[in-house]
Amino acid sequence: MRISRVKVSNFANFSDINVETGESIVIVGENKVGKSNFVRALQLILDPGLSERDRQLGLEHFWDGLGEDKLGETIEVAIELTDFTDDPRLMAHLNDCVVDPGPPMVARLTYRFQPKANLGRDPETLADYEYIVFGGDDPDMAIGASLRRMLPLDVQVALRDAEKDLSSWRNSPLRPLIEQLATSLDEDAREEIQEQLNEAQTELAGHAEVVATAERISERLVAIAGEQHAVPVTLGLAPTRVDALLRSLRLLIDGGTRGIAEASLGTANLIFLALKSLELDRLVTDGERDHTFFVVEEPEAHLHPHVQRLVYRYFLGSVDDGEDASPLTTILTTHSPHIASVTPIRSIVLLRYDAEQEATVAVSTATAPLTERDEADLQRYIDVTRGEIFFARGVILVEGDAERFLVPAFAEALEIPLDTLGITVCSVSGTNFTPYVKLLGPRGLNIPHVVLTDRDPIGDGHPRVRRRLINLLELLEEGVNYRRLDADAVIARAEPFGYFVNDNTLEPELFTGGLAEEMKTIIEEELPIGDETREALQEWVDDPDTLDEDRLIALIERVGKGRFAQALAPHVSDDTCPDYIRQALERIRDAVT
Amino acid sequence: MQLRSISAAYLAQASELAGNPGQQAAYDSAGHCIVLAGPGSGKTKTLVLKLARIMAEDVRAPRGAACITYSQECARELTRRLERLGLREAPNLFIGTVHGFCLRHLLMPYGRLADLPVPLPLTVATQRQGDQLLKRVGDRLFGVGHPNKPIDLGRHRRSILDRVSVAWREEEELAAWAEGYEAELRRAGLVDFDDLVIFGQRLVSEHDWVLPLLQAKFPVLAVDEYQDLGVALHRIVKRVAFDGGVRLFAVGDPDQSIYGFTGADGALLQELAARDDVERVQLQLNYRSASRIVSASEMALGEARGYQSHDPDRQAVIAFVECDDGLAGQAAYAVSEIIPAALAAKPGRSLGDIAILYRDFRAGDIVAEAATAAGLDFVRVDNAAPYRKVALTSWIEDCAGWCAGGWREARPQLRGSLDRWLGFHRARISDEQARVEAQRLTQLLWSLRTDDGLARDFVAALKAGMLDALMAAEASLSDQREQVGRMVAALAIGGPLADLDLASLGGRDGSPLHLNLLTLHSAKGCEYDVVIMVGLDLGSLPWRNELPAARRESRRLFYVGLTRARDEIHMLYSGFVDTPRGRMHWGRSPFLDELEERMQEAEGDE
Repeated sequence: MRISRVKVSNFANFSDINVETGESIVIVGENKVGKSNFVRALQLILDPGLSERDRQLGLEHFWDGLGEDKLGETIEVAIELTDFTDDPRLMAHLNDCVVDPGPPMVARLTYRFQPKANLGRDPETLADYEYIVFGGDDPDMAIGASLRRMLPLDVQVALRDAEKDLSSWRNSPLRPLIEQLATSLDEDAREEIQEQLNEAQTELAGHAEVVATAERISERLVAIAGEQHAVPVTLGLAPTRVDALLRSLRLLIDGGTRGIAEASLGTANLIFLALKSLELDRLVTDGERDHTFFVVEEPEAHLHPHVQRLVYRYFLGSVDDGEDASPLTTILTTHSPHIASVTPIRSIVLLRYDAEQEATVAVSTATAPLTERDEADLQRYIDVTRGEIFFARGVILVEGDAERFLVPAFAEALEIPLDTLGITVCSVSGTNFTPYVKLLGPRGLNIPHVVLTDRDPIGDGHPRVRRRLINLLELLEEGVNYRRLDADAVIARAEPFGYFVNDNTLEPELFTGGLAEEMKTIIEEELPIGDETREALQEWVDDPDTLDEDRLIALIERVGKGRFAQALAPHVSDDTCPDYIRQALERIRDAVT
Repeated sequence: MQLRSISAAYLAQASELAGNPGQQAAYDSAGHCIVLAGPGSGKTKTLVLKLARIMAEDVRAPRGAACITYSQECARELTRRLERLGLREAPNLFIGTVHGFCLRHLLMPYGRLADLPVPLPLTVATQRQGDQLLKRVGDRLFGVGHPNKPIDLGRHRRSILDRVSVAWREEEELAAWAEGYEAELRRAGLVDFDDLVIFGQRLVSEHDWVLPLLQAKFPVLAVDEYQDLGVALHRIVKRVAFDGGVRLFAVGDPDQSIYGFTGADGALLQELAARDDVERVQLQLNYRSASRIVSASEMALGEARGYQSHDPDRQAVIAFVECDDGLAGQAAYAVSEIIPAALAAKPGRSLGDIAILYRDFRAGDIVAEAATAAGLDFVRVDNAAPYRKVALTSWIEDCAGWCAGGWREARPQLRGSLDRWLGFHRARISDEQARVEAQRLTQLLWSLRTDDGLARDFVAALKAGMLDALMAAEASLSDQREQVGRMVAALAIGGPLADLDLASLGGRDGSPLHLNLLTLHSAKGCEYDVVIMVGLDLGSLPWRNELPAARRESRRLFYVGLTRARDEIHMLYSGFVDTPRGRMHWGRSPFLDELEERMQEAEGDE
């Protein structure tokens, strides 16, 4: 079972969001944008730990944009569930909640905080409000605690208390495992342990040094209080039954030499998550639950980046364990690109503040028009660096490392502060921009973006850029026949969408655009070149018309385009910025401000 | 292993089944099971124990079982007996009529999704609304005083489900009448009881997605009195069981099928029992009747069923009595001769152990008059009863029983009444609201406890306290509200039940001090030491000139009457009947002739 859609209106940061979701949900967004409130909204429907009072909201829970007009408005949270038809128990739970028989069958649960139904007047205070939680389309179909108990939302608030939880027996996720262990011991095993225990006890207590110490204590007792009042004492372990012994089992690390308390916070958190995961399995196996919506808020806290990636790859199910239909839906909130980079591409829910609406809006990748191949490409290429695009307010998509280093340098020269504006430069390592544009486009995350690409002329035919741009334009325009358009016409069509093309290839363009001297110097410093090459370079510098583009590119490739670009970056200036880069930077700047 | 919240009381009782292979087989069945149960064979006990076992061993909430039975009264009896096993109605245990099932578990959750052409929220027409519309449409189509009968219309609607079929069109006038009536209902935003089942059937037949949902909620479907349920339920059952994977446990007796005029058909049960994928269990042992009554019943039926009496040594009286002066004379004889003798014949026997059975309420009037004249207290169950038994009136009666002293021994259980109250709400209500309502109701009932009070005051207080608000809010109860109104009218000063005290309202059935007056139809499922059947003359039972199918049903009705008796059967006749055209000397019932002849033959053989 999974959540397939979340709708929230008039609650906290949200005026009205309606977002489709994938197998798991990874909520990304800047601080204060409402990630935790998104989780609170889900809790209103599904958290069995919330009391009636918690569900009776306050004025502060209404969307702020309502201003003074909060009274009279209704807060509503709805989730839609799907993929439950292979489990009759889930079907039975959701029987009265179905809103679409499908396939796929969809059930809906709704929380509503509204003026009391039979009020007969406008509400004057929140005392005139009531909440209802119902299934399906019929507000009379109330959802009770039993459903929440069997399909609970289990929230792990940022994992800072792991150590404390582990050290207290009552809250420890170790406890159920030990209790299970205790009940699984048969009589023989218990007897054997008890015997060994007694033996160890006897041996310890009978040891000469131990006996001597006990005697010393006894003698002193007698000396103080006299034979009459002194009680004879011995030294031994506290009376021990097997159950008590099992309860005193503790997790140890470093080959049993240290307890959890001495572990790093990261280790404690990791252990906590492992125990929690075992506990969730057990609850379903024992029939105490039929499904768990497992929420971890900001799991990046106190976990090493590498471990973050491993742990959440596990919880997000990209580790293929061969089991079907997991009784667990994982929901994370994060602002870590590390976690974003291991998130299944369809699971991203992006929260973003929309200044115009004065509200947080939500978009998701669940229904972005990605093909399976696009998905696989993105999944493969989105690493920690590219993971930043999920957190960006604007994205500049470029072909490779050269642009990745040089575009920020030009931006600085043009006084467009990319970091401050929240703009990320993302290299697609090639020219296949399509999956990225689908991901960022209006049917995906709807993040403003521009594309920078080379013209790449080939002989007499159309330059390569023509096909490349048509692929992108086809995502945005309908019913256009591109066959009759030549490259320049296509490029002209693409510009208004933010796709900018140079006249040739980046490096020769920079060379002829005023950076010839600097580029020559870098090549000379980086490569052992002969006199003939040195002379050619000088000739190109003196008369750019003589430039042999292919030879120049070959030289730069020997340096490495990225390395070359890094070396060149400090030398760029406003004057030497190629037009297409300038246009792109200005456009993305305007889009995010 | 998790602890079950279900009592293990059924285990103790189940051990008693060991001596009865049929009951044991039914109890042990793991797949579809059809139990063909002769009279007095302990079918209800078997069903109740099997249900308890299923709830304890085979399903776990939220999954459960639905148990459909013929009438509200049957449902109430099942509920009572399940309560004694510690099982109550719960979200995962439905016990009720086919109408209730279709309403709550098919139309309410899925009707909207399936886009059924019914007005939502569902509002059930009251009997009066239905009757009026029926008359208006009938008069418009065929003129005032037309010969078509509502009962035939009902049978046609219930038994021909396929509206584009030749069979539907064949009875042209009925079809037109039905369609006009239904259109009028919809115009008024209403459905009627038959609609509930007809649309329930359409829902499961036409929409595949309903099946897995229903199977998820109710992996087990039990049906009691299968022979009295019509073809619509039969289709629902076949669809959910054989296409939908719901496990079926059906109980019935085709020999006791006496509701053919409503569209019921005993052959449907036999059709199920003949399937290869069901286990067929026959219950042969009769725990009720003396041996001679068992064999006489079979002779009356004219079929060899091989039923055995559990207590072969018990003495029986089987008497054919001719009385002068027709029905009035028969009633007088029953009251003045048979009843005093029967009371004297066995120590401890009381009026409650005796029943007078008759064909219809007109005969009931004559018998009631005789009983009144003789100063006997009686309970009467027939169409002339002041109100019809529906879920709400039954609930009021049970609350009365609790308040009149039942609370001391938890009979009926308060919890059960509270749950049923919550169940009257159209849909699931929130836990909070449920708690508040249960609390209010408990307080109200607690305050209404009294050892001697009038039923009238009790019902008035209950209505004012909570019932009126419920009935106003729940459109689906509109039909039942009408029956509550009738109950109130009957209890009002000057009404037929004006003097009824609280305990009697609560214990109106099964009271040891009241003689039972029932139609043969109402007697089904009941048993008495002494059964007196009156009006066994040709022209009454059977009617004269019945077609073969009707004649067979009349014979089954006679059979049902005979098989109610434990010790004594008295069959009264006069050899004539009084008709609007005068007294007709058509002789006594041919069933009596046959029976007497066969009994003599059998005794001659010995």
